[in-house]
Amino acid sequence: MSADEPAETFESVDWDETGSRFSTLSRRDRGAIASLALVAAAFGYDYHLLSADRPTLTWPIRWNVTQLDWLFIVTLLALLFYVAVPLYSNRRLTAHYWAEFRKNSLAVVSLVYLAAVFLVGVVGPIFLSKPQLALAQSHQPPVYTAVNAAVPVNCLGDVASGMCHGTWAHPLGTTSDGKDVLVLVVYGMQVSMKVGLISTLLVVTIGTTVGTVAAYAGGLVDEVLMRYVDVQLVFPAFFLYLLLNYLFGGSLFMFIVIFGLTGWGSMARLVRSEALQRSEEAYITAADSAGAGTLYVIRRHLVPNVSNSVITAATLLIPGFILFEAALSFLSLGDPTVPSWGQVIAAGRSDLGTAWWVSTLPGLFLFTTILAFNFVGDALRDALDPRQET
Amino acid sequence: MSMRWYVVRRVLWAVVATYLILSVTWGLLALTPNPAAEQLQFRAAASGGSAEAAREAFEARRGLDRPLWDRYSDYMVNMVTLNWGWSDSRSQPVMEAIAGAIPYTAVYSVPTTILSVLLGLSIGLYSATHQYTRTDYAATFFAFFGYAIPNFWFAIVLLLVFSVQLGWFPVVFDPDVPLVGFAMAHQLVLPVVVLVTGTIAGVMRYSRAEALEYVQAEFVKTAKAKGAGEFRILTRHVLRPAAVPLMTILIGDILGIFLAASYLVEVVFGIPGLGQLSYNAILAQDTALVLGTTLIFTFVAVIGNLIQDIAYTILDPRIDYGDR
Repeated sequence: MSADEPAETFESVDWDETGSRFSTLSRRDRGAIASLALVAAAFGYDYHLLSADRPTLTWPIRWNVTQLDWLFIVTLLALLFYVAVPLYSNRRLTAHYWAEFRKNSLAVVSLVYLAAVFLVGVVGPIFLSKPQLALAQSHQPPVYTAVNAAVPVNCLGDVASGMCHGTWAHPLGTTSDGKDVLVLVVYGMQVSMKVGLISTLLVVTIGTTVGTVAAYAGGLVDEVLMRYVDVQLVFPAFFLYLLLNYLFGGSLFMFIVIFGLTGWGSMARLVRSEALQRSEEAYITAADSAGAGTLYVIRRHLVPNVSNSVITAATLLIPGFILFEAALSFLSLGDPTVPSWGQVIAAGRSDLGTAWWVSTLPGLFLFTTILAFNFVGDALRDALDPRQET
Repeated sequence: MSMRWYVVRRVLWAVVATYLILSVTWGLLALTPNPAAEQLQFRAAASGGSAEAAREAFEARRGLDRPLWDRYSDYMVNMVTLNWGWSDSRSQPVMEAIAGAIPYTAVYSVPTTILSVLLGLSIGLYSATHQYTRTDYAATFFAFFGYAIPNFWFAIVLLLVFSVQLGWFPVVFDPDVPLVGFAMAHQLVLPVVVLVTGTIAGVMRYSRAEALEYVQAEFVKTAKAKGAGEFRILTRHVLRPAAVPLMTILIGDILGIFLAASYLVEVVFGIPGLGQLSYNAILAQDTALVLGTTLIFTFVAVIGNLIQDIAYTILDPRIDYGDR
C-alpha cells in the first residue's frame, strides 16, 4: 500500500525530524489515536462515574456497555482506520485486488455470507431481547418441519395427524427451556465475531510489532525477543486456558486476553522472516542513508510491506479462535453468561433423538462461518501474495 | 556448528522450557486460592465452625504453611521423581490414574495417526501429480471440509445418524471389552473417523504443496525419461525431497490439533482416556489431577516439538544450524 498523503515525496520529507516520535504518524494515525482517546474517555466516564448496574446509554437504546463491548468498539475502529480507509483512499489498488479476488467465486459468496453474519451479529442483539426462559414453548420444531406431537409440551403451530408443525414465530424452533434458536444463533454470531476479531487484532498488533522490531533492530533485541517467542510457543494456550479457567473461573474476556496475549508467537515469526527479506531492499537502504529514524522506517516502510502476509495469516487465524471458543463453551468451560454457539450445541446434546434441531442448526452456522473464513483467506492469499504458492 | 552440538543445544532448550512451564504453573497455583480449600471453608462456615480455622487446618495438612522456597523445591523434586500427588476425586495417586487412562487414549490415537498420515500422504501426492483434475478438486474440497467442521459437532451428528437412527455402532463406549479385539475396533470407528477428518486435511494440503514443487523438477523428468514407473517416481524421486518439510507438520501440527481434538472427542464419545480424566478432574475440582493431566499434555507438546526439530536436522543435512 502506498503512502496516503500523495503530497509527500522523497524531497519534501524533513529527514532530521523523522527521528522524533510523532512525525512518523500519518493523518490516518492521528485520526485513529484521536478516536481511541475518545473511546478511552467514554470508558473512564462509564467505569468511574457510573455505577456498574446503571446502563451507559439510555437513548436511543438502553445499553450497558461491558468491558468486552469496549474492546469490540476499539477493534471496529481499528478495522475502520486500517482496513476500510486505506481501501477507500487507494481505489486503483482496491480495484486490482478485487479483480483478483473475484476470480474465486466461492470466496465471493463466502465474503457476502460473512458480511451478513457480521452485520446481523453486531446489529441484531440491539433489537432482539435476550432469550428468556419460557418452559411453555419448549421444543417447538423449525418452520416447515414436523415432529411427533408428544415432543413439545405445548405445540404452538398446527397439529395434524399427531404431528406438531413449526411456526414462523420460531423459524428455527426452540430449545428444551423454550429459548428461540434463531435468537440464540444471532447472539452467538456476535459472540463469535467478538472472539474472532478482538483476539486476532491483539495477535496482529503484538505479532507485527515484535516481528518488525526484531528484524530491523537485529542483534541482542532480536535474540531476546525471538527466544521469548520460543518459550511462549511451547506452552500450549489451550492448556494454559484450562488451568486458569480452573483457578479463576471462565469468562469470555479472559479467553480473549489469554489467546490474544499468548497466541502471537507464530505471527511474530512469520512477520520477522518476511521483514528480514524486506529490510535488505533498496528503498530501506535509501531511507536509512537519508537519515530516517528507526520508528519511521518500521512504520512507513516495513509494516506496509509485510501487511499482505499479515492480512492473509489473520484471516486464517479468526476461524481458529471461533472454533476454540465454541469447543470450550461446548465443554462448559467457557463463559456461562454468554449465549455462544458451543453452549447451544451442548444444551441440545441430551435430547438429540427427539429435538434434532437444537444442536444441529447452531452447529451448521458454526461450520459455515469457519468454512467461509477459510475460503476468503485462501482467495486473499492468491490475490495479495502472488509469490506464495500453496 | 556441528549437528551434534545443535541437537545437544536443542535438548537443553527443551529442558529449560519444561522447567519454565513447571515454575509458571507453580506460581499460578501458589497465587490463587485452592477451590477445594474454599469449599472446606464454606462448609465449616455453613455448619457454624470457623472458616479461618478450617483454612489453617487445610494448609497445615497440605504443608502450605511452610516458607515459599521449601514448597517450591518440594514441588520440583516431586515433579521430577514423578510423585504427582493424590487425586481426591478418584482416591488414587495421580500417576496411577494417568497410567490407567493412557491405554484408552492410545487405542484410538495410534490408528488415527497411522490412517491420517497414510491417507493424507497418498491423497496429497495423487492430487499433486494429477493437478486441476476433478479428483484434485474433490480432495481440496474434502480438506477444507475436514479442517472447518467442528470436531465435537461432527461427532454429535455422526452419533445421531449412525448410532441413534441406524443403530450400527454403540451409543455408549464400553471400557470393559478387551483393548485389542473386534468389539473395541467396532466402537472406535466413529471416534477415529472424526479425528481422521480433522487431521487429514493439514497433511493432505501440505503434502500436495510440497510435492508440487518437485513434480516438474529436472530429476523427475530424467527419471521419467529413463523409464521409471509412476510409483517409483513418486516414492523415490518426489517423496524423498518433499519428506523434509513434511516432517515439520507431521509431528508438530498433528500433535497440536490432536491434543485439543482428543479432549473433545473423548468427552463426546465417553472414552475414559486422558482427555476425559482431565475434564472430570476440572469438574470435580481435583487440583492435583488437573495439574497432572494438563502437564502431561504440555510435555507431549514439548517433546513433539523437540523430535520435530531433531528429525528435521537429521533428514536435511543442508540446514544451517546457526539460524533457527
